[in-house]
Amino acid sequence: MKNNKRMYLLLEFGLALMVVLLAFVMILENNEEDLARVSVIVQDSEDNQWTAFKYGLRMAAQDQKIEMFVVSTGAGLTLEEERDVILREIENGADAVIVQPVPGADTGKMLQKIAKRVPVMLVGQNLPKEEDPESGTGIPVTEADHRGMGKALAEELLEDYSGRLDGKTFGLIAEEANSVAALERMAGFREAVADKGAQELWAVCGTFQEEGEKTFVEQPKVDFVIALDDGSLTMAGECASANDLHGALVYGIGNSTEAVYYLDTGAARCLVVPDDFSIGYQSLTAIAKSLGNYFYELQDQEVSYTVMRRDTLFTKENQEILFTMSQ
Amino acid sequence: MRNKRLKRRGQWKPRGMQSTIMIVFSGISISIMLTLGIVMYVRFSVSTRQETIRSTQMLMEQAGENLEDYLVSMRQISDAVYYNVIKENDFSSSDNDIQRGMNLLYTANRDNLKSIAVYNSYGSLMAAEPVASQKEDPNVTKQDWYVQARAEMENMHFSTPHIQNLFEDDTFRYYWVISLSRVVELTNHGESQTGVLLVDMDYSGIARMMKQINTSNNGQYYYLCDSNGQIIYHMRQIQISNGIFQENSRTAASYKDGVYEETFEGERRKVIVNTISYTGWKLVGVIPDSAFTYGMFDIRYFIIMVMLLMALMLGVINRVVSLRISSPILKLNDSVMEYEAGEQPEIYIGGSREIRHLGESIQRSYEQIDTLMRKIVLEQNERRKSELDALQSQINPHFLYNALDSITWMVEGERNDEAVFMISQLARLFRISLSKGRTVIRMQDELQHAKSYLNIQKIRYKNRFSFVFDVEKSIEACCTVKLILQPLLENAINYGVVGMDDCGEIRVAGRQEDGKIRLSVIDNGIGMSKEEVEFLLTDSSRVHKHGSGVGLVNVNHRIQILFGKEYGLQVESEPDEGTTVSILMPAIPFTEENRKILEQGPLYWKEEMADAGGRKFVPAGTVNRGSKDEE
Repeated sequence: MKNNKRMYLLLEFGLALMVVLLAFVMILENNEEDLARVSVIVQDSEDNQWTAFKYGLRMAAQDQKIEMFVVSTGAGLTLEEERDVILREIENGADAVIVQPVPGADTGKMLQKIAKRVPVMLVGQNLPKEEDPESGTGIPVTEADHRGMGKALAEELLEDYSGRLDGKTFGLIAEEANSVAALERMAGFREAVADKGAQELWAVCGTFQEEGEKTFVEQPKVDFVIALDDGSLTMAGECASANDLHGALVYGIGNSTEAVYYLDTGAARCLVVPDDFSIGYQSLTAIAKSLGNYFYELQDQEVSYTVMRRDTLFTKENQEILFTMSQ
Repeated sequence: MRNKRLKRRGQWKPRGMQSTIMIVFSGISISIMLTLGIVMYVRFSVSTRQETIRSTQMLMEQAGENLEDYLVSMRQISDAVYYNVIKENDFSSSDNDIQRGMNLLYTANRDNLKSIAVYNSYGSLMAAEPVASQKEDPNVTKQDWYVQARAEMENMHFSTPHIQNLFEDDTFRYYWVISLSRVVELTNHGESQTGVLLVDMDYSGIARMMKQINTSNNGQYYYLCDSNGQIIYHMRQIQISNGIFQENSRTAASYKDGVYEETFEGERRKVIVNTISYTGWKLVGVIPDSAFTYGMFDIRYFIIMVMLLMALMLGVINRVVSLRISSPILKLNDSVMEYEAGEQPEIYIGGSREIRHLGESIQRSYEQIDTLMRKIVLEQNERRKSELDALQSQINPHFLYNALDSITWMVEGERNDEAVFMISQLARLFRISLSKGRTVIRMQDELQHAKSYLNIQKIRYKNRFSFVFDVEKSIEACCTVKLILQPLLENAINYGVVGMDDCGEIRVAGRQEDGKIRLSVIDNGIGMSKEEVEFLLTDSSRVHKHGSGVGLVNVNHRIQILFGKEYGLQVESEPDEGTTVSILMPAIPFTEENRKILEQGPLYWKEEMADAGGRKFVPAGTVNRGSKDEE
């Protein structure tokens, strides 16, 4: 009799415990509906060049069901400004950050500190090698093959001149002198045109506002202007449209409709477009996975690029790239 | 094997009643709950699935109508441009009218339109609205919309979305449009020629409509494709292009309107297809199986929660019910067990009518058992008392003194023969009185005892009475209770014949009739009244004037204790006529076995007789070979 009573009480207690556990699980499930939040910090975030990137972010956020917020920033973000923005976003509830690192020696240290608090994914470019000597063990990055794009640009140039550039001269322009991306692209281009007979007359780096543009235009006449980023390319395209380049042909890397426009109008001969949609999509997808799975390890990701020519600008594939740039 | 099973069965202890009720109730409750829960969930799931499909169909019908309206309005614009503007004017002379007409239509629909343009058969721009400079070499005749229009001149053609590649835009923007193109007949310099009218619809209009219905977050989505499966709108358009996401649009394009079930990329899903009129476009709704179960987790949890709570409550209810049902029975059982343990509790009477009745029956049974037990104890006591009384009668000192006095007197008078006779009779009397302590003896011995007693008394009373024995030979071999004749003879002597002068007579008769023995002591003494006769067998407290004090009541009791209430004494008397006291007893042959059975008392031997079909007693023939009956 006593055993029966004990058994009955145990059974009732077990059932009550299950009810409580189930209620607890239901409450937890309801709380889980709060989406994870990822903040994205890139320089001059409202610039046209980020359109495809932001579209990729939006699509990834939709697919991964997380909340994504692109922080509004201006051009020429300093290390302190970037750090302040990141910390503010973390304080505001960001569970992870996607950052375009500002060029500089201390950026890596700053981001490594941040990475101890929340997952960090770099986009656009990596940290300088000396700051991250053991590549792959530091902060992960999603970027295009910068060196490959430089090489591709050079190969397009060579193709236009049957593989030889004897007697030809070129000048290189890039917005960020210390940018790892620009340096890689430059190195890739130089590597590809070496021993092809072309001579590099100058290389200009800096933000091309009115004064900068003037400096650029005042450079010695060259046959080719090689623009290594979107800002440089649009500036060069603008100058070419205004016939300020003394007949120099523009080859460049860009990712805005403005850059495409200059290609479309003939101001630029060739355009290499990094897949910014994929940079945005893949970086946010990886971050979302790392937030959803404690054991998921973020890794470096490399995206492709596309070479556009005026005559192939409106192929189906290129139209889709333009589509992402127009969102 | 069988032994093992039996052994196991022997080890099995039956469950308590309450546990059994509880287990059965709980089992039934849980089964019903589970069945109900599953049926409810399945029913809910099926109806939710049907409702989801139905609402999706309705939404798609509505969206399809909106799309059709949108496309019809574009066609109407195209018709208006063609019939009201192009056909009515000559491009060489009325270009301003044409421009004005196109401008009016464009302005009225600018939210949905990107541009209206007319090209001649060489691909040269004849007119466009809004006015914009054409690109250097757009190569119009190679563009799909132009080729399609020229290929089927009688139809209007809707292209798939593409970048408009016609006009320069200083804002560096590229527009995503859907082109509606048709071959038109235009007049230039009075000459009629063919051209192509292009109405570029802003893709964002269609995208907006599709986005409006693609708001579900349960995995359900809608997309638009043309009749070849080329995607026109898909919320993951670029992911599809990049190979991140797959869509089964080619298969969907081959479906007619309706609901289809398919497995794509390892996922089962429902596909609902709705064809957009004229264009052949397909509006496709996709409901993955996961969408049906989306939000069902809460329902599942809720159902499980309800079932657990019900189980909890049913546990309590079952416990209360089983307690209520079993409690009276358990209490009854407890009181019976206590009774069996030797205690004397009151048998529990309570609970339902049946259990109350059961309790009352058990109580009555126990009361009867108690009564019977008391009776048995009483009988035993009486028996012992009677035996004690009988023992007392055996050693009646007065009788012994008188007998010995008579012997002394005979010896002194040198009547030695008489003294010897007296002594031998006294010795027989005592031998039979003792009878090794037995209660039941052979009738022959009892008669001998009676004769010895009468002989002794006759000598003592100096032959003032005579006696006669008239006993059938057959009854001598039967059983009788010992020393039952002596008290009757003593009474007959003391109260009947002693007062008479030499004419007193005592007659002892024995007959067997209908299996019974009637043994009578008949005297011709003073007799007694009827009232006195009545008191003889009922009043044991009477003071005896004479004799050993062992009254008729005692004899009657002893006979009834051994043979039952139907046997005993019968007294008949008439004043001055005499008295007849008859002993009635069963005619049971005397054997050692019968004696032992009879000494157990009537309850025992009657029961034994009933068990043995009335033939328990050993037949007389096997014992008494010398009896008359045997002869």
